[in-house]
Amino acid sequence: MLGSIPIKSLAIVFAAAGVLSAQQYDLLLRGGHVIDTANGVDAVMDVAVSGNRVMAVKAGIAPGAAHKVVDVPGLYVAPGLVDLHMHVFGYAGAISPDDTALAAGTTTIVDAGGSGWRTFDEFHRTVITHSKTRVLALLNIVGAGMVGEPAESNTADMDSQKTAQTVLRNLDIIVGIKTAHFGLPGWTAIDRAVEAGRLANVPVMVDDKIFTDTGRTTREELLDHLRPGDIHTHMYNDRQVELVDRFSGKVQPYMWEARKRGVLFDLGHGSGSFLWPVATKAMAQGFVPDTISTDLHQSSILEQESDMPNCMSKMMLLGMSLHDVVMRSTVMPAKEISRYPELGTLGNGHMADIAVLELQSGVFAFKDAWGAKRLGNKRLECVLTVRDGKIVYDRDGRSFPAWKNKQANEVTK
Amino acid sequence: MKRIVLAVFVLATTASAQQIYDLVIKGGQVIDPAQHREGRFDIAVIGKRIARIASGIPAAQARVAVNADGYYVTPGLIDINTHVDIRAGGNNVYPDYNALRSGVTTVVDAGSSGAKDFDAFKSGVVDRAKTRVLAFLSIEPDGEAAAATLAKYPNIIVGFKAPDTGEGLELLKHAVETAQAAHTILMVDSPAGQDLMEPLRPGDICTRLYRRWGKTSTPESARESITAARQRGVLFDVGAGVNGLWFASAAPAIQEGLLPDSISTGMEKDSMLLPGTNMAAIMSKFLNLGMTFDQIVERTTANAARAIRRPELGTLKEGSTADIALFEIRHGKFGFLDSGYTRLDANQRIECVLTIRSGAVVWDTNGLTATDWIQAGPYSNFK
Repeated sequence: MLGSIPIKSLAIVFAAAGVLSAQQYDLLLRGGHVIDTANGVDAVMDVAVSGNRVMAVKAGIAPGAAHKVVDVPGLYVAPGLVDLHMHVFGYAGAISPDDTALAAGTTTIVDAGGSGWRTFDEFHRTVITHSKTRVLALLNIVGAGMVGEPAESNTADMDSQKTAQTVLRNLDIIVGIKTAHFGLPGWTAIDRAVEAGRLANVPVMVDDKIFTDTGRTTREELLDHLRPGDIHTHMYNDRQVELVDRFSGKVQPYMWEARKRGVLFDLGHGSGSFLWPVATKAMAQGFVPDTISTDLHQSSILEQESDMPNCMSKMMLLGMSLHDVVMRSTVMPAKEISRYPELGTLGNGHMADIAVLELQSGVFAFKDAWGAKRLGNKRLECVLTVRDGKIVYDRDGRSFPAWKNKQANEVTK
Repeated sequence: MKRIVLAVFVLATTASAQQIYDLVIKGGQVIDPAQHREGRFDIAVIGKRIARIASGIPAAQARVAVNADGYYVTPGLIDINTHVDIRAGGNNVYPDYNALRSGVTTVVDAGSSGAKDFDAFKSGVVDRAKTRVLAFLSIEPDGEAAAATLAKYPNIIVGFKAPDTGEGLELLKHAVETAQAAHTILMVDSPAGQDLMEPLRPGDICTRLYRRWGKTSTPESARESITAARQRGVLFDVGAGVNGLWFASAAPAIQEGLLPDSISTGMEKDSMLLPGTNMAAIMSKFLNLGMTFDQIVERTTANAARAIRRPELGTLKEGSTADIALFEIRHGKFGFLDSGYTRLDANQRIECVLTIRSGAVVWDTNGLTATDWIQAGPYSNFK
């Protein structure tokens, strides 16, 4: 009699009766050191997932409680990394998000201004819907997007209203405004971006390449034009911001002042914006990034290899703790784009985006924007990535069954 | 003041006069199967060419000298089955990051584009990429157009790719005739049985060699038909991809000595992350299945070049284009997946540490050619 009852309904019966504790989870990451800074977790624990949600983070979850158990002892388990600054559309050096993100533990990337209000739909259709990585966007104040000159300095195509309207129509994906590479004198690009941000109630990220003849100063930008919550990226690029006074070696007082009034500072490593002497001096004075981001594109992934774990390793080399590095790569960026607590934490019920990281010891070369190397003895590398509850990357195949040579001569069916 | 400047100038010119090479890779274990060369040699590069291979080339003669002690030095690898026509979207990937970090300097697209859209593929990918991009042209929709496109781009197109012929003997015959008419080679996905391989000519390439045997034939009969076709000169390539590398097919074949003629990745979006199809990972799988590193290098350089009839590639011969890769074999506990998503527990992993493409450094994960930051100044105006 019992044999004729489908197993599924049997399970439902037992579950309803409250006696079925077996396999209540789909996935269990067991024995890793969990760093979930939003919840103050920094200890060896197990992480249980069902569907696309984190269900439990605690010690000693029975392996029998999950369909799939993956042992991760000696590894760090962090929320899926959130890269606030990447280029996957529009820009000449744009790269496919899936080429680099998921293998780096990055489950969410924010395209930094590749599309504008004229091109966002195309971006959505050609890239976002085809990506396994979660792709969010900062919308360029330039309607044509980040397509080089003369478009990027064409003030006639910087429409705050239309930009804000596009943001408001796509709040599931667009998280803010971007202005970049504005080559003319004056504040048109920055002020219109901020105006669009005000209209749509979203932050603005500014990459203000200060050309010598624009007449703009970083001081004015940060103290007079940006709002609290707006983001100043490429913070360690000295050509652009003069972060560190070149005579005294001190971080400029207006930088501290800007930070005090709530302007946020983003790493935005790229291939032009991370210089060892600048970052070293600033970090030594405690001027650290609010968010660690890559500004990844075709050349920086090959030359500096500056994916998220690389940028995080560099921050650690300059003295930042692993706890802080994780915090500034998960919860901090998620908060800045109003995606916390859905993203950036392993809190119960939140999105099961998870990065399993290995902290390696050895001698490693880390290259800056000028191609100069600095040797370090620790390196973070991603070994396994969970996105929406699914294992999407597994460097060593640890979540899969072992292949036995004896199967070799069997005819597979 | 002027005198000091002059003195510095003289010193600088003296130094540069001695630096006759742009790059010298010193002391590595060189493996160049095309030249039957193996041993510790130094390689000197001028511009885009390999200028000299010898022992004891002085580091002082190089603008940049690389200490390659402990590394293998091979020709830049050739991956003859990839899907890199990103314009076509879907499953294609852009070649540069996916190829160059594995030491692959030449990729061959396996039929992602046909006569209709080849111009766009050329301008969108071939002309843009740092990687050398060649192609098997899809014969769809018609052979005449394919032949005309081949005639237009003989330097890029190395042969034709048959559409997935499945079990259809007639389709395969037609593809072979189309290639024959254009005087070029054909790449096909490995057909299932011996009769289906009959139409293939010597030099035609069957890819996905170690796909899942046993659906329509036993592994033994699959190996028999492959051996028979090989005796006629048909070539067999790996083309791992999503479905092209099953350990259950590859392991016993390799034990019996049925090795692939060439090793390629089948590189595509769907397999890049899982089961993992960058070239270094694919090579590592074969190393742990019992092939030697020499055998693997031969099948990713000289053999691959011969298969696509580009003997000038895949070698470190003096005068050839300076496409060079440095590898290390790491020892430890590793795991690699096959198309059935089962894990081969492994103790060796091949990693590419340096890639040179046409004389330019395009990948340098250990910073072998980089200056230490303390010596790197001046940093712009920064002090």
